[in-house]
Amino acid sequence: MNTEQLIQSLAEDVPVVSRRAVGRRIVLGIAGGGLVTLAMIVALLGVRPDLHTAMHGFSFWMKWAYTISLGAGAIFATARLARPTDLSLRWLWLMAIPVLLLAGIGIGEMAAIPSADWLAMWLGQSWKVCPWLVLMFAMPIFIGLLWSFRRLAPTRLRAAGAAAGLCAGAWSATLYCLHCPEVSAIFVLTWYSLGILLAASLGALVGPRLLRW
Amino acid sequence: MQVSEDQLRAWMTDGLDGDAVAHAALLRALVPLLLSFYRRRMRDCEDDAEDLVQETLIAVHTKRATYDRDRPFTAWLYAIARYRLVDHFRRRRMTVPIEDVETILMTEGFEAKSAARMDVDRLLEGLSEKQARAIRDTQLDGLSVAEAADRAGIGVSDVKISVHRGLKALAARIKGDRP
Repeated sequence: MNTEQLIQSLAEDVPVVSRRAVGRRIVLGIAGGGLVTLAMIVALLGVRPDLHTAMHGFSFWMKWAYTISLGAGAIFATARLARPTDLSLRWLWLMAIPVLLLAGIGIGEMAAIPSADWLAMWLGQSWKVCPWLVLMFAMPIFIGLLWSFRRLAPTRLRAAGAAAGLCAGAWSATLYCLHCPEVSAIFVLTWYSLGILLAASLGALVGPRLLRW
Repeated sequence: MQVSEDQLRAWMTDGLDGDAVAHAALLRALVPLLLSFYRRRMRDCEDDAEDLVQETLIAVHTKRATYDRDRPFTAWLYAIARYRLVDHFRRRRMTVPIEDVETILMTEGFEAKSAARMDVDRLLEGLSEKQARAIRDTQLDGLSVAEAADRAGIGVSDVKISVHRGLKALAARIKGDRP
């Protein structure tokens, strides 16, 4: 095909594009995947029976504040990496703030109980499955983001994959909070973060292959 | 004929608002820009350069939602063009017939170049963002000073000064590295 014909055929299809198209596309991918994740959690594990009471307590909101702030940071990183132009990601260190805050709470909690109970508090009831469940429930959201990326133009594929994985992990952890009854900060800091990191690593691993365009 | 950044950007923005005529005008204006961009980088493969121009036009069209209206258009354009070029080399390397020695040598050269490029990237990290970018655009990517200025959205003399100071700082650093 010669170039002029190509241009003419491309110019036949020129829909209006909103300024917020990139952000909207990413949020849509996360929301679509998130619905699947939510359905899986409800169907496979069930929502914790005391959710209503828990929502009046501190630890539930501590967990949500942690995972949601990571998720929000990850969305911004993903949106930046979804465009071809290089933009600074230096502000990403801000994501250390929720981690440090949670660590602070964890130290406070440890100080309040005898050291013999530390191990039990750290491992909780579900440390063996928690990271893997977070990783598993991240998959639908990650797939949703792959769909988002089909219209986007990442040029740093590994970084974009990692950001998408981080996003999927953090939002998966957020939804997993609806099931998980663990209450201690050091549990969340270790096992939730591990699950989220696993998702981000997986994203970095497959990014260059799956995000090519 | 060189179309100005402002004109390209106006066409792009109108296209995003649904103006098909402006969009076609933009794509037409990009052809000579992209041809010179690719020809400068692959002197002996005229056909490939033309294919890449078409691929890039398609990418500009399908990925147009990723253009941020508040940022320079040419920066976005050349980022896409560079990505298509890298992808072209990557694909090329994967489908080389084993007996095609000449092509292999060429792709090997590309690999060496990318390794060298990584070293350069590490060196450039020590400079300010503006200096690193000016050096990368003019000294490595083969953009003219005017193109680099357009891309970064700064003045021509600003680019020249950035390159000069950046190179000087690099030279000082390399000397300092050796005992």
